[in-house]
Amino acid sequence: MSELLSMTGISKSFGANLVLDQVDFRVDKGQIHGLVGENGAGKSTLMNILGGVVQRDSGSILMEGQPVHFRTPAESLQAGIAFIHQELNLANDLFVYENLFLGRELKTKTGLTDINAMCAASQQLFDQMGVQLDPRRMTRDIDTSYKQIVEIARALLMQARLIIMDEPTTSLTHVEIDLVFNLMRTLAKQGVGFIFISHKLKEVLSICDRYSVLRDGRMVEHGQTAGAEVAGLARAMVGHEVRSDRLQTDSAIGAEVLSTRGLSRQGSYQDIDIQVRAGEVVGFTGLLGDGRSALFRSIFGVLPPDSGTILYKGQPVTIDSPERARKLRIGYVPSNRKENGIIKDLSILENGTLVTLPDYVQNGLIDQARQTADFDRQRGALSIKMGKPQDSILSLSGGNQQKVVLAKWLSVNPDLLIFDNPTQGVDVGAKEEIYDIIVALARRGVAIVLLTSEMPEIMRLCHRVYVMYHGRVAGMLHADETDEHRIMMLQTGGTD
Amino acid sequence: MPDKKTGAVTANGWRDTLRRVKRGWNDKPLMSISLVLVLLVIIQILQFGFDYQSVGEWADRIVKNWLNILLNNSYVGIIALGMTFVIISGGIDLAVGSTLVAVGAVVMLLINIRDVGVLLSLGITGTPAILLGILAGLLVGFVLGEVNGLIVTKGRVPPFIVTLGTMKIYRSVTMYYMQSLRGLSLPEEFKQIARFTIGDTMLLPILYWFALAAVLHIVSRRTVFGRHVYAIGSNERTARLSGIPVDRVKRRVYVLMGVIVAIAAIIQIARIGDMDYTSAGSGYEMNAIAAVIIGGTAMSGGRGSIMGTLLGTLILAMVSNLLTLIGVATLLREAFIGFIVVAAVLMQRKEKE
Repeated sequence: MSELLSMTGISKSFGANLVLDQVDFRVDKGQIHGLVGENGAGKSTLMNILGGVVQRDSGSILMEGQPVHFRTPAESLQAGIAFIHQELNLANDLFVYENLFLGRELKTKTGLTDINAMCAASQQLFDQMGVQLDPRRMTRDIDTSYKQIVEIARALLMQARLIIMDEPTTSLTHVEIDLVFNLMRTLAKQGVGFIFISHKLKEVLSICDRYSVLRDGRMVEHGQTAGAEVAGLARAMVGHEVRSDRLQTDSAIGAEVLSTRGLSRQGSYQDIDIQVRAGEVVGFTGLLGDGRSALFRSIFGVLPPDSGTILYKGQPVTIDSPERARKLRIGYVPSNRKENGIIKDLSILENGTLVTLPDYVQNGLIDQARQTADFDRQRGALSIKMGKPQDSILSLSGGNQQKVVLAKWLSVNPDLLIFDNPTQGVDVGAKEEIYDIIVALARRGVAIVLLTSEMPEIMRLCHRVYVMYHGRVAGMLHADETDEHRIMMLQTGGTD
Repeated sequence: MPDKKTGAVTANGWRDTLRRVKRGWNDKPLMSISLVLVLLVIIQILQFGFDYQSVGEWADRIVKNWLNILLNNSYVGIIALGMTFVIISGGIDLAVGSTLVAVGAVVMLLINIRDVGVLLSLGITGTPAILLGILAGLLVGFVLGEVNGLIVTKGRVPPFIVTLGTMKIYRSVTMYYMQSLRGLSLPEEFKQIARFTIGDTMLLPILYWFALAAVLHIVSRRTVFGRHVYAIGSNERTARLSGIPVDRVKRRVYVLMGVIVAIAAIIQIARIGDMDYTSAGSGYEMNAIAAVIIGGTAMSGGRGSIMGTLLGTLILAMVSNLLTLIGVATLLREAFIGFIVVAAVLMQRKEKE
């Protein structure tokens, strides 16, 4: 196939920091090209150069053989490159067709928007894409996967010949992922090129024709996905062998820490009977709408349950606020770190000691020496890579930010620690470290709840796993009987 | 990057300069504001320099002028300190001017020495009466702040709406009850709270203002309450999930605001000796907000400082004084102030990444 994009010898540094070092990257027409690498490997910078967000220091870019230089995102778009970001850029309160034509609305002779023409054009485009979607629907009412499709459609409407998709599957269910992948394949057959950025290597291998691996600003490997394996890709990303062994040990499992009886909340979860013991890592998994996040938000005091009992260390308890949960020594590492985990205007130190701040008070003021000492202890134990404690939390990588979020809960010496999707947006190396921390905590007798959709996390870390389906526990599996097939059956509503 | 084409050079050069200035401004906001203030002071001194020949008299005039500026801005200055907490927490309080008159009215009613004086009719006079009056004033500020805070937290009504409503309620009710009570007179000892002079200048209101600023600076930096306010303003969800009692902290922010307004009210009636319930404190909310914004506090919450607000108030005060000195038409002065507020925010706006 003929060449669509070719980037040659691209270098870029921010200050003294060389982010991209002589990177070559090529995408052909009709090709789906996977771009992988750890966080900080330079993927975003490379794509931002392509998208006109930042300027390269040296190197050349050819688009269909023509040298190009993008100074603004608009120029990149003009040249036929569309960037679909992880956070979707749609106005939820507009109709689908309005989003498609946003900024380039069709008008009638009198200067009003030509709704009929826009709807017709949208419909025609959806037909051509093989998508069943009514352009007159309200954007907020359509599923996330369809929103992604609307973004792709918008890119096509702007004559995009190369579409960059950054982590498109993070918030999609399996069925939705298939939908988006099918569309990508259809469009690729029509000659559109894709750059697919993902941490999910299995997906990369299944959807992409070729892959390229960035590590520390250098292109270290590229090739056909046919015949490539996840382990090989992971090795190329981190530069050494990646473990896939079982981490959980038969540590001494102690007394029951948490159990529920008939816990229910209208529209979220029903009749939940679960049990978690000291020193145990218990997984909770399921597909979108399984209710596991809501269940543990209830146990953490954020979302009140309608009925049922929570037993904590054998005693029935009412947990009506996170404050109460903290006093019971329940910790919670939430999903969506940016929205729920970190406070961007506070320093690393303050983020890491946010929960225990009242404990450092002496004569009404915060004793900063004690605060720092306490944080330093966690920092050492979690081996957080950081500059000064007073630096902004945003100066850290995703994995280290997550460790800071964890640090603030470890300071209360939790007896029960709930992790909701703890390795989201965290690179392979940091993932392993977080797994090690979880295992070490369990060994120390902490009861661990791990909410996750990632099969390897369940297989490697959990003593037991509860599989949920539509707000109910569909089944519970012990480590020795856990396999992907059984989990898939249970979480899709099948019987074991 | 210098371009060969002449047109682009100047455009880019200018843009680069602006960007560099902006970056400097954003990196060290307090330094930048101080710099502006110093600049204003220099302009002001120069202005005086043109008018006065004898050096002693010249210096005296300048100091007097400054003390006057500080004195006249002490009420708004004090209120802006409380407003800083409110805005950092992600809220706003439009009711401060109305709270001021409500507190003023209650204190006047309690301790005035005419026959309608409540404490007088109970036989309480002198220092006990004054202390009771002050205490009652602070209590009214506390309660009115708590009302705002309760509606904001329990009612989940946006602070702008809540305080827009209570702004009207507090003032209207006060005016209704006080309409027939004009020309009350306050005991001399009470007036000394503000009027006590050192040399022949009234310094106390300025001292209260600066002392309060020092205390609140420490509260914002070194207390759990202060840090929680920043955390909530920056990311309320994370704050809640970290076990911070978000509603309680927010309520305390509005209570603090109410009490600070009460302090300003007490100083104001002690200095003036009376209060015009229709006009007193009106516009204070906007001036206080302007001072906070110029001081570098983000309207969206999470970022800002007491020191910035103090400097912001001084800048506003200095500018309006300069406008008078230079002889800008009175009716145009507000336009300049408005210009400065917008310019300050433009400078502080973060560059798009």
